[in-house]
Amino acid sequence: MGTIMARTSLYASTILFGGALALSWATHGTGTVVNDAKKHISVPDVLTVPLHVQAAYNGSDVFFRYRWPAPNAGIFHDMLRFTGGKWEVRGNAVPGPQPDGLHEDRVSMMLDDGSVPEFGRYGGYVAIGDKLAGFTEEADGKALKDHPYLGKKLGLDEPTKYLPATRANQNDWASTVPEAEQAKLQSAGYFLDLWHWRAARSNPVGFADDQFITAGRLSDSGRGVYSTNWDGDKKQPRLMFDPARSGGIRALRWDDIVAGKISQDGVHGLKEELSAPFDPNAGWQEGDTIPRRLLRTPQASRADIAVAGKANWIDGYWEVTLRRKMNTEKPLEDKIIRDGGAYQAAFAIHRQATGGRWHYVSLPISVGFGRNAELVATAFTGDTPDWKQAAKPITLFYPGQVSWPHLNSQRHGGAESIGKGIPVKSRHSEEQLAHYGIEAEFAEAIRSQLFLTLFAGLGLIAAFGWALLKSTPKSEA
Amino acid sequence: MAGYHVVLVHFPTALWMTAALAIIYRAFFDGPVAQSIDRALVPLLSIALVFGVSAYLVGLFVWPLEAITASPLGRNHMLLATWTTAYWALLLVLRWRRGQAIWQGSMRFVTAGLAAIGAVLLGITGTLGGHLIGVYTDVSQVLRMLGWEVYTTFYVPNTTVIVLAIVALVLVAIGFRAQTVRS
Repeated sequence: MGTIMARTSLYASTILFGGALALSWATHGTGTVVNDAKKHISVPDVLTVPLHVQAAYNGSDVFFRYRWPAPNAGIFHDMLRFTGGKWEVRGNAVPGPQPDGLHEDRVSMMLDDGSVPEFGRYGGYVAIGDKLAGFTEEADGKALKDHPYLGKKLGLDEPTKYLPATRANQNDWASTVPEAEQAKLQSAGYFLDLWHWRAARSNPVGFADDQFITAGRLSDSGRGVYSTNWDGDKKQPRLMFDPARSGGIRALRWDDIVAGKISQDGVHGLKEELSAPFDPNAGWQEGDTIPRRLLRTPQASRADIAVAGKANWIDGYWEVTLRRKMNTEKPLEDKIIRDGGAYQAAFAIHRQATGGRWHYVSLPISVGFGRNAELVATAFTGDTPDWKQAAKPITLFYPGQVSWPHLNSQRHGGAESIGKGIPVKSRHSEEQLAHYGIEAEFAEAIRSQLFLTLFAGLGLIAAFGWALLKSTPKSEA
Repeated sequence: MAGYHVVLVHFPTALWMTAALAIIYRAFFDGPVAQSIDRALVPLLSIALVFGVSAYLVGLFVWPLEAITASPLGRNHMLLATWTTAYWALLLVLRWRRGQAIWQGSMRFVTAGLAAIGAVLLGITGTLGGHLIGVYTDVSQVLRMLGWEVYTTFYVPNTTVIVLAIVALVLVAIGFRAQTVRS
C-alpha cells in the first residue's frame, strides 16, 4: 500500500511539475504588454523594417535615394470633412496608426559632420531628451509654450527632440543653457541637419522640409512648404480646390480617401495653384473633404531640399530621391557636404498612418564622400546619378520609449559603456533594441511580473522538492 | 565585479554539467563505474552549489540592482540563475536525503529527467549571461524557435502565477500525504 502510494505521489508530483512548466512556457510574455492610449502606448505588430539607401554627388549637388516597404501610399494628412452641416477636423495625431489612415508617410534623415560626437555612436538616441512628445510622461505643453527660450524665443509648441549640451541638466527638459551658450554651440556646428520628406505636406510640391535639431527640432529660415487651411473663427476652410484647375472638383470625397481610391497621380494635395477662396455656399455635401494643409513653394533656406524626379509608391514600396546643394551656404542650419568628407547619418520612416514617435529608426551609419564608409556616396558627372552602385541595406526598428537621460542613468546597465564612448552597435542589434524599447514602455509592470514569476517558480521548485522527498523512501546513501 | 563573475560561473557550470551527466549515467547503469560516480555525487553537487551561490552573489554586484532589473536580458539571466541554483539545490537535497532510493524503480527515470531539465536551465542561464557580455551561442535561436525571444523578459501572467501557487500547494499536500502514509 505504502509503495503504491509513494509511486502515485511521485507520478502525480512529476506530472504536476511538468504541467506547471508547460503552462508557464505557453503563457509567458502575455497579459502585460497591451496598448493604452491614455499612456500614449501603441506597439506596432512589425518591429523592424528594411530601408535601402544610396548616395551620390557631382561636386555641386548631393543626392540621397531611399527605398522602403509601405503597405499603402500614405499621401494624406489631416483633413477638413463636411459632416452634419459643419466642417470638422479629421486626422488628429493619436498613439499609433490614425484610425482613418490620415497620417502621411515620411522618410527623414539626421546628418552630422562630427560636430555632435555622440551622434555617430548612438544616433538619434542622443536627441531623445527628457519627457518628449508622445512619451507616457511628456512635458506639459503650456509650460513649454511659456518657457522663455523654448516657447517664447524658439516658438516650440510641443516637446521635440533636442541635443544634450543644450540643457544644463539632462533630466530636465526645461533646463536650457543660456542663449549665448546656445548660439555658441550652434556656431560650432553643434546641431543635426534634418531632411524631412513628407508624402502629404511636402511631396506634392516637390520638396522635403529642411530642419535641424539643437535645443529643439527647428525649421531652417524661410517660408515653409505648408500652412494651415483652417479658419478658426469661421470654423471652415480658408481655401478649397479650384474646379477650373483641379479637374472639376471643389473637394475630395471622404469615402474615396479612406478607401485608398485616390492615387498620388490624382488630385490630392491642396497646392496654391490648384486652390480658390473657400465658398461657403458651394452646395457642400456630406463627406466632402478638403486638406487641412495648404501647400506652397518653400522659400530661402527652407527650400534647400528638393525631390529629384518624382517620389513613387509602386507595388508596396516608396522610392524617394532627395537633392540638395552640397554647400547651401547656411552653415548654421545645414551640414555642408565636402568632397572627401566623412559624415554620420541616421534614418527614420513613418508608415501606415503613424506620426510622432511611432516611427522606425536606424542606428547611425557613416557616410563617405570620396572616403571609405558604411555608405559611400558615388561621385558622378552630369546632372543625374545613374544609381548603379549597390544600395546600403539598413534595418529600421521601432524604438519605443528610450530616452538619453535613461540611457545614461543607473537604470541602464550600459551607462558606463556610453561614458566610455562604446558605440551602441557593438552592444545591441536593431531587433534587440526594438524589444528593449517596448519593454521600456512597460518597465514597472514587467518588473513586478518578473518578481512574481521568479518567486512563483521558486515556490514551485521548493514544493516539488518537498513532494519528491516525501514520496521517496529513505535509503542508505 | 563582471570579471570575477565570469571567472566564478565557470565552476558551477562545469560541476553541474558534470553532475547532470553523472546522474543520467547512474540512472541507466548499476555497474561499479556507476556506483563510483554515484558516491561522488553529493560532494560534487555540494561544491557546485557553493560555487553557484558564490557566482550568483557576485553577479548581483556586476550591475546596480536597478539596472539588472530594468534590462530584459539582465532580468532573464537573474531569473534563470535563481531557478537553476534552486533546482540544483533540490537535486542535492534529494540525493543527500534519499540516497540510493532515487535510483530505484521508476524514480531513477524521474531523477534523470530532473538532471536533464537542470542542464537545460543551466545552459539557458549561461547563454543569457553570454548575451550580456556580447559572447553567446545559438541556444537563443533555439529558444526563439520554441517561442521565447530572449530579448524580452520571461514573465507569466497573474492567472498563471495563481495556477503555479495552487500547484505548489497541491505538491506540498502530496508530500504531507506521502509522509503520513509512510509513517
